[in-house]
Amino acid sequence: MRKTIVWFLALLATHPALADEPVPSGSFTETECITCHTERDPSLIRQWRKGSHSVTSGVGCHSCHGENHKESAVKARKDQSCTGCHEGAASHSYSTSKHGIITHLEAARQDWRQPLQHGNYRTPGCSYCHLHNGDHGNTMAPDRGPETRQWICAGCHSPRYIREQFANGNRQLEIADLKLSEGESLIASAVDDQADALSKLRKSLNHHRHNVLLGIGHQSPDYQWWHGQPALDGDLIRIRDRILQSSRRKSLADNLEE
Amino acid sequence: MRNRIIIPLIIALLAIPAVFAYVHWSKGGTGTGLYSRYWSPDPVQGYWDPDNFYQSPDSVQGIFAGEQCVQCHEGITPGIVTDWRGSRHAQSEETVYCNDCHGNNHQQLHLPTPDVCGNCHAKQHDEFRDEARYGFPSHVLAMERAVDAKHFVDKPKAEVQSCVQCHSVATKCDSCHSRHRFDAEEARRPEACITCHSGPPHPDDETYFASAHGKLYLAEGDSWDWSKPLAKGNYKAPTCAYCHMENGRHQVAEKSLWKFGLREINPHTSKNQVLRRKWVKLCSDCHEAEKAEQWLSELDQERKQAWQKLYAAEASLKNLRSEKLLQPPAGERPPYPMDWLDTLWPRERIGFFEGQASVFYNVSAIERDYFEMWYFDNLGAYKSAAHGNPAGVASGHRKMAASLDRIETQANELRELSQAEKKAGITTKPSGNLWMKGAYTDYNREHN
Repeated sequence: MRKTIVWFLALLATHPALADEPVPSGSFTETECITCHTERDPSLIRQWRKGSHSVTSGVGCHSCHGENHKESAVKARKDQSCTGCHEGAASHSYSTSKHGIITHLEAARQDWRQPLQHGNYRTPGCSYCHLHNGDHGNTMAPDRGPETRQWICAGCHSPRYIREQFANGNRQLEIADLKLSEGESLIASAVDDQADALSKLRKSLNHHRHNVLLGIGHQSPDYQWWHGQPALDGDLIRIRDRILQSSRRKSLADNLEE
Repeated sequence: MRNRIIIPLIIALLAIPAVFAYVHWSKGGTGTGLYSRYWSPDPVQGYWDPDNFYQSPDSVQGIFAGEQCVQCHEGITPGIVTDWRGSRHAQSEETVYCNDCHGNNHQQLHLPTPDVCGNCHAKQHDEFRDEARYGFPSHVLAMERAVDAKHFVDKPKAEVQSCVQCHSVATKCDSCHSRHRFDAEEARRPEACITCHSGPPHPDDETYFASAHGKLYLAEGDSWDWSKPLAKGNYKAPTCAYCHMENGRHQVAEKSLWKFGLREINPHTSKNQVLRRKWVKLCSDCHEAEKAEQWLSELDQERKQAWQKLYAAEASLKNLRSEKLLQPPAGERPPYPMDWLDTLWPRERIGFFEGQASVFYNVSAIERDYFEMWYFDNLGAYKSAAHGNPAGVASGHRKMAASLDRIETQANELRELSQAEKKAGITTKPSGNLWMKGAYTDYNREHN
């Protein structure tokens, strides 16, 4: 059923009546963009309104599409429209992945006028996965469900391959979560005389767990591993060491008091 | 007198086949490598090591000719068909179709291994296989070394899938020749290497891009003619492949002088001198030979200073070990499951030759600090020195000095704490379950 809906939406978006409508040139204000596109494609505006760009960060049309209508879709499809804000680990985990390096090397000969659909791009850029088929909600958000998310990869990869990669990603993340909860319960068991140090380590745990997630999502072995799992192991060691040393110092102090 | 010769001889004659038989037996388990009897692969591993673990799909039945594959997959997976159409495989007179590499029976499809590619690309394949003679680190031995690492065997297989993604450079050609374009021009560019050659232990990307060579590449590389072979006069600045795969030779470890910076080597052996001359000859494509020799000796100097710091840190740890001050001691940490020697003779592992590479999770904090100093700070400094990035060398050595200082300070604190305990008449109490229990630690014990 879902697949049918996705197919239907895909057909609708490529429908000549919609695709070939003359595009007005010139600059427009945000309000003008929204007014006009609400008439033409209300679902697109709804998707954007519900998404985190609109709700939490106030990112409107201009941020990605620029002010000028000409080439506005081409501009928004390119990775640079995302990486200005999504810098650091989010961007680096992608730019060093196989998808990322190929997208970078092919950028000059890629036809960015093509819609973000199967067969049009050699490798997926940010928008291909996260705004697949021009959907303005995040098409890679977990609440989209496995079918929609895995469908995006199916333009190149076999359904079994995609399924297995997603399943392995989930297992990797479960393992990272086990480390997180191991760290949390160790911190909870600690004598509360080094709250500062332990809260730093808690932050570090969460940071490294996020790296694992980025590594899985962007298929970066380096973020899954060196910035992720062994870094979490290091956090656990340092939490344990704090606890052990503080308990030794405490029994020493208790002994001296007696 | 005769017995003195005959008895050891008989023992040796019996022991040699016994060792071979043991190694053979140990490789017969559900995994691969020396510890194959202690692990089973994660389902996804078949895609990284197809020769050993890939299972053909049973979804579609039938025998297909090349055109039929293309016709059907054009609709199902248009991305890879477009990719293939742009490749030399599709454009050459004798078209190389899907079935030439994957087989034609859909229920017995296979993923192409280097041997499959070698059927046509014999020169490259032979060079690639022959890289084994340079030992490790090398591309061709990468998978063997990954699965024979103690932490690979010990940790849950889903977790260590991230290791085999890069180490699959030994088991598939598409790590560099990305499928299904298999474009030599793409493989010649530095970006082809950086998915694996990046991150804390091997920042080849950062250190190269920060060098004069790398900066030239970043500024002008897009306009260079990448269809040219990796030979003298063809490129304005050298790239990863220009130096490490001279003239397209598929033997990246060929001129490995310092073995990745992992251990100290003697730069004065005749073998090393031969490699050095190869480097000087290569640099002479653009520079004066004397200049190249000077850079190599600067690299030796950098390494000497690095190893002075690393050995000082190792000495500090070894002293703690002999004073029994490493807490918790080896016996109170989760052992590697397959290592009976560890159980009989628990011992903290310090330094490359004792297996430092696996010592990053079931150890004490000061040992972890040394691991990071050796594997991150030191290798960062080495890569910077080798790629010509002086700022990276300075920063790596600053980090190493800071790590050494921290290790020595901590060692003194541990010593003082223990002396204070002795003075107060309390024995250091065992760490109990602190290192042995936990959500992940328990899971890890049960999932190999």
